[in-house]
Amino acid sequence: MLTKVVDLRSDTVTKPSEAMRAAMAAADVDDDVLGSDPTAHRFETEMARMMGKEAALFVPSGTMANLVSVLVHCDTRGSEVILGDNSHIHIYENGGMSTIGGVHPRTVHNNPDGTMDIDKIVAAIRHPNGGLCYPTTRLICLENTHGNYGGKCLSVEYTDKVGEVAKTHGLKLHIDGARIFNASVALGVPVDRLVRAADSVSVCLSKGLGAPVGSVIVGSKDFIEKAKILRKTLGGGMRQVGVLCAAAHVGVRDTVGKLADDHRRAKVLADGLEKIKQLTVDLTSVETNMVYFDITDPLISPGKLCQVLEQRNVLAMAVSSKSVRLVTHYQISDRDVQHALTCIEEAVEEILSGNAKSEHLTNGLTANSYGN
Amino acid sequence: MVTKVVDLRSDTVTKPSEAMRAAMAAADVDDDVLGADPTAHRFEAEMARIMGKEAALFVPSGTMANLVSVLVHCDARGSEVILGDNSHIHVYENGGISTVGGVHPKTVRNNPDGIMDIDRIVAAIRHQDGALYYPTTRLICLENTHANCGGKCLSVEYTDKVGEVAKSHGLKLHIDGARIFNASVALGVPVDRLVRAADSVSVCLSKGLGAPVGSVIVGSKAFIDKAKILRKTLGGGMRQVGILCAAAYVGLRDTVGKLADDHRKAKVLADGLKKIKQFTVDLTSVETNMVFFDTADPRILPDKLCQVLEQRNVLAMPASSKRSSFSPSVEL
Repeated sequence: MLTKVVDLRSDTVTKPSEAMRAAMAAADVDDDVLGSDPTAHRFETEMARMMGKEAALFVPSGTMANLVSVLVHCDTRGSEVILGDNSHIHIYENGGMSTIGGVHPRTVHNNPDGTMDIDKIVAAIRHPNGGLCYPTTRLICLENTHGNYGGKCLSVEYTDKVGEVAKTHGLKLHIDGARIFNASVALGVPVDRLVRAADSVSVCLSKGLGAPVGSVIVGSKDFIEKAKILRKTLGGGMRQVGVLCAAAHVGVRDTVGKLADDHRRAKVLADGLEKIKQLTVDLTSVETNMVYFDITDPLISPGKLCQVLEQRNVLAMAVSSKSVRLVTHYQISDRDVQHALTCIEEAVEEILSGNAKSEHLTNGLTANSYGN
Repeated sequence: MVTKVVDLRSDTVTKPSEAMRAAMAAADVDDDVLGADPTAHRFEAEMARIMGKEAALFVPSGTMANLVSVLVHCDARGSEVILGDNSHIHVYENGGISTVGGVHPKTVRNNPDGIMDIDRIVAAIRHQDGALYYPTTRLICLENTHANCGGKCLSVEYTDKVGEVAKSHGLKLHIDGARIFNASVALGVPVDRLVRAADSVSVCLSKGLGAPVGSVIVGSKAFIDKAKILRKTLGGGMRQVGILCAAAYVGLRDTVGKLADDHRKAKVLADGLKKIKQFTVDLTSVETNMVFFDTADPRILPDKLCQVLEQRNVLAMPASSKRSSFSPSVEL
C-alpha cells in the first residue's frame, strides 16, 4: 500500500496540477529571446495588471527576481541598499547582490513581526555629505510575507509609510513579495493596493501558487526594459518559456483562492501542536501558511524529530537547534493536517521512550534545507 | 488558407514536438533546489555519460552555462580568460563575465574557420613576471561550432592541441559547445571524444535539438558542485525543473540523429543562393546548419531583403550591412 507523503517542508514542493500539465503541453510558444513568446507575453501582461504596475517579467526564480531588481535600481557603482538583517535576500541569496552585483548591503534590525523600525531605516540612509567615505543609498527592500519570522504580514499602512520615507529621500522601494498573495489574503487587502508604494515587486509562482518554476518581477515599463537585459546577462533568458508561463498562469487563476484554506490549516496545525506537552507554539504568530514550533524537551532534537517523522512519511524542516517549521500549501488537505499531528505526537513518544530507530535521512533533505 | 512560416532565423526557434509536450505533461518531478528532481537527475546523469564527463548541471540558458563555467574556473579575483574576439561569449553575452563576474577577457583573433592560432593563444597567456601589473590567466575558451564564423567545426586535433597548451600552462579549457552535436555529426567524431580535452563544456538543448528551454554544463564532480552554487546565486535554481528536463531528454533522444539532414539542407540552400546573381556565398564555408550570404547588389540591403521575405512568411536574419543568414533546422 502506497502511503502518501505529507510534505510540509515548504510551499515550494508543490507539484504541477493536472490542469497545469495540460496547459504546459498545449502552450502556444515562440522564441522569447528573439521576439516574444505569446504565452509569456499574455501572462506578463496579466501579472502587471493584477499587481497594478506597468509591466512584468518572468524569471526562473525568486533569487533572480530579487537580484535583477536590486541591480537595476542600483545600476551605478557605489550603491547601497537598506534591508532587514533577517531578510531572505540578505541571508539566503548567496550574497549575490554584492558578489555578483557589486552592491553594498546596509542591514537594519528586523522585528519579530517582520518590520524594520521607521526611525532605524531613516538612520541607515547615508548622508550625502559623507560622500567621500560613503556608498550612496539608492534602495530600500521590504519582505512580505516575512519568511524567517514565520510568514508575517507587513500591513499596507506600514508599506505606505516606508514608501514615503523612500520618496522623501529620493530612494526606490522594492518588495520581496515571494508570498505577497498570502499577505494580501491574510490582510484582506487587494494585492495591487498592498504594493502600491513599491517601485518593484518580486512575486513567486512556484510556492503556494503551485507552479513548477518561476517568479515575476513587476514595475514600470522603463524598469522592466532594463530588467530584461539584466535577466539575459545573468542567463535567465529562456526560449520557448511559454511552457512555464502557461503553468504559472493556471497557478494564479486557480490557487490564489485556496490560500485562505492554507492559512486555516496552519492555524489548525498550530493549535494541535500547542497541545503536545513537549512543544510550544506562539499561536498569535501564525498569520499565514507557516508554523514554527519549539521543542522544550531537551531529549528531542529537531533533527531527530524530523528523521522519525520522515519514517512516517511526514516531512518537516528543522530550522535551528530547537525549532521546526511546517508550511501548508494547497496539496496538503485537512486529513493530512490531522495525520501530521498524530505522527508528530507519536514521534515525540517514540523518541522519549528510546525506541526511535537511528536511520540516516534518505537524502539529507530535512537536515540541510535553507531559505525555502 | 494559413501559410506555414518558414523560420530560418535561428535554430533557437524550434518549438517543442508532440513527444516533448507529452513528456513535459507526464514528468515525474520534485523540488530540485531542496533535493533532486528525479527527471532532472536522470537527464543530467545521461548528459554526463554522453559527454564523457563526471557530472552535469541543467541551466536555463547557454548564457548562464558559459557564465557559470567561466566564473567557477575563475573564482579568484584578478582572473583573466583567453577567448576569441568573435566568440559568442565575448560578443553576445552582455560582457557578463566582467560586469557580473569580475573576470577580465583577453581576446585573440578568430580566424574565419573559427580557430585561434596556437602561437597567438600562447602569446596571450600572462607571464608570472608581470604579476604586479597583470591579471592571472586561468582559462581558455573555445567555441564549437563557431557561430559568427558560420557554424564552423573545430577539429578534435585542434581541440586536443589547445588542451595541451592549457595543461602545460596550468590553465583550464572550457568549450562553448552550444552546437557541439552539430560539430560531432559534421566531423564524424563521437561527442565525448571531441571534448575530451576540455575541463568543462556548455551544451544547448534549446537550439537544434529542439527543446523549449535550457542548456547543460558538464565537467568534473567538484566543478559541477561549485557550478550548482553559482547557478543558485545567479538565480538559475528552478524548482520542479524536471518538466524542462523531460523535454530536453526527448530532444537528445530524437533529434541528434536529424542534424545531418539540417546540414544537408543548409548545403542545398547555399547551392541555390549561389545561383542568384545578386548574392555571393562561400560554399566551402557551409559545414553545419548555417548559411551566410552576402548581397553583392548595393540596392539590396539585408534589412530590406528580410523585410520583403517576411511578407512571404520566410524569416531570415540580417547579420551585417551586407550579410544575411539562414539556419535551417528540423521542424518537429
